[in-house]
Amino acid sequence: MKTDTPQVPRGEGLGRTIILTAITAVITAVMFSQGKIPQDPKGAIALILTFLFANTLFFLIIYTGKTDRYRAVYFSTFAVMLIVSFISHMLEARGSMSLSEAKVFQCEVPFCHLVIPMTLVPIALTKTIIFPGSLIGGYASIASMFVLWIGATLALGRGFCSWSCFYGGLDDGFSRVLKRPVIKKINPKWIYLPFAVLLFVALTAAAYLSPTYCIWFCPFKAVTEFNAVTSTEILIQTIIFVSLFIGLVIVLPVLTKRRTQCAFLCPFGAMQSLTNKINVFDVRIDKEKCVKCKRCIQVCPTLSMSEESLEQGRTRITCMKCGKCIDSCPKGAISYHIKGTDIPGKRNTYRLLFLFAAFLFLAIFSSHIIQDGIVRILKLVTTGSMIS
Amino acid sequence: MPKIRSIAGYMWAGAAIIIVLATFFGSGFFSRTLVAASGVKISPLYSGGEVMRSVDHGSYKALIHRPVFDALIGESKEGFVQVNWEPLAGLPPVIEEPVDYNGDGKEDFSIRIDTKTGKATLTRINPLVLSVINTVKLDNGWVVRVQLKKD
Amino acid sequence: MKGFFLGLSNGVTCVAYCTPVLIPYMLGEGKGVAQNFVTLMQFLLGRLAGYLCFAFITWLIGLSIFGGLGSKGLIIGILYIIFSCLMMVYAFFRIDVPCAARSIGYVARKIRVPLLIPVAAGLLSGIALCPPFLLAMTDAAGKGSLSYSLFFFFMFFIGTSVFFIPIPFVGALRRLQALQIVGKMAAGIVGLYYLYTGIMAVIAGAEGI
Repeated sequence: MKTDTPQVPRGEGLGRTIILTAITAVITAVMFSQGKIPQDPKGAIALILTFLFANTLFFLIIYTGKTDRYRAVYFSTFAVMLIVSFISHMLEARGSMSLSEAKVFQCEVPFCHLVIPMTLVPIALTKTIIFPGSLIGGYASIASMFVLWIGATLALGRGFCSWSCFYGGLDDGFSRVLKRPVIKKINPKWIYLPFAVLLFVALTAAAYLSPTYCIWFCPFKAVTEFNAVTSTEILIQTIIFVSLFIGLVIVLPVLTKRRTQCAFLCPFGAMQSLTNKINVFDVRIDKEKCVKCKRCIQVCPTLSMSEESLEQGRTRITCMKCGKCIDSCPKGAISYHIKGTDIPGKRNTYRLLFLFAAFLFLAIFSSHIIQDGIVRILKLVTTGSMIS
Repeated sequence: MPKIRSIAGYMWAGAAIIIVLATFFGSGFFSRTLVAASGVKISPLYSGGEVMRSVDHGSYKALIHRPVFDALIGESKEGFVQVNWEPLAGLPPVIEEPVDYNGDGKEDFSIRIDTKTGKATLTRINPLVLSVINTVKLDNGWVVRVQLKKD
Repeated sequence: MKGFFLGLSNGVTCVAYCTPVLIPYMLGEGKGVAQNFVTLMQFLLGRLAGYLCFAFITWLIGLSIFGGLGSKGLIIGILYIIFSCLMMVYAFFRIDVPCAARSIGYVARKIRVPLLIPVAAGLLSGIALCPPFLLAMTDAAGKGSLSYSLFFFFMFFIGTSVFFIPIPFVGALRRLQALQIVGKMAAGIVGLYYLYTGIMAVIAGAEGI
């Protein structure tokens, strides 16, 4: 008689976990330090703390078999540290968070990945970048962000939004504040809004040769940089982005337990949903194991799981590969998957291959920002100021 | 066929890890290569366009950029010309510059900037010259953009 | 470009109304992709003719109504605000819009000349009173120039036509419903843009009085 073996997959054994963590430890040690230990004690402490933080979380992800729980800790820490590091940097360089006209004229505005969808049509037609940033060199140069984006798209696809986006960690973090959602019903049609925003901003940016999303909508200007209010137009822009930040990044994630900014606004995420086609990793549902308890539909932060998904055995194209549905499935029916291979197949191997790519991306991408954030916090504690 | 697809899948998954490492190890190299291979530049709407001529005033110089009428396709009806003065340390209290932006040998406008207050006064000679858009103090000088109409 | 965006934002809805007639017609004809393209071109020519007629009417409206008004900016601003609010309601809530394209099926059954079916369908689809179209009319009428009006509606036509391109590859329309939602939401965002333009025009118009 066939016995009921545990259906929920567990993590790896201790020995295997140690070996796997050792591999990431070597890589992260090299990448975090870039071959040298900082002379400054604060820098050295920051390096060690970042290294321990990263590898402890990786150990826990592998050992416990829970992906999202520990990923979210890392991801949200990255977002918070970016704010600490970025604002300190801006205060040091400019004396304020507001963007000066001089920096715009000197093309020294830091570039972020959210601008990319708006630049593509102008690049194709005019071979120019419609952003006052630095092409190479300087802080957050345009070319380096493009290289990161291409690498992330090839390696993670839309997984970038849950494993690397330094803004996504904010609404991810806020979506975990309450134990239960206050607002439970959300019309799934809103998942199409980012595609409409993408269409609108890509075309208006091309028509006006101006990064319209950055100017009018980007909620993250509230925690990075913004134009000083010098006209009615800038006042309206400020009201819009501050409202979007408070609404979509703080209030709605808390009330709905969903990543509302990522799910219902972000045009970059919409673009990643489309480019995700060239990525090899996805999340699949083993229809034979699935008992249709709909737990995954309840917990998915981006409404990427639906009854139709359960029928078809695959998520919607908006899936960010965060792993929350995988962690929450009581039957272990959901897993990471490599396109072209069997389902369920070697699910542990699929998971490990995805985790190595995703985790290393997150760890390496965030390392200097987290280190700088720790240094700034140590400075604040010891000197009373985060800036030099 | 399923076996081939499966092998290809595993290979692509393994390559993903290598891509991650290459993205960060080779970031500088890939950035330079991307810029060189694509030939992209910052839009002249932001950079001000290429410097067309330089006028030496002894302690400082004026850099007159090409008129920018760039649009997504073709040219727009209105544009601007950018003039920079640098270095900051060599600038007089008041800059006065006659500008021939279209290179026809005739003065098109004259601009006067008080470098203490940033107040700019435009004297239009060519009717295609409209108004001053911005006057901004930079780290290394002053810049002005003057709005133009297309011929 | 505004005409193009309005057209683009409305294009999916146009496709949604027109494909139920066009696709069965193409399938019924049973011809290949090339012949389907010919049919589509006939249809699009009909649409273009419809839009250009409207461009002319819009210009006349602009001349007769707005021409002699001192507070033209204020009135156009108010119209922008009304139509943009309508457009946002249309985009984010389920409402039906008056579009002549909905009667295409009926007209197609009445027309006996096969060549004329796609042309007539196109012409009908060029007559609509949906919010994007009303906004387009306001924008074009406000300028008071025939060439601007014709160009604006031509761009509106181009914008709406983008979504018709896949039709000859009939099978590629599986995601039509999703596209329709995206298109309507894009229309809502364009509505926001016009709302802003309207408010600014009203402020400027009110200051001018």
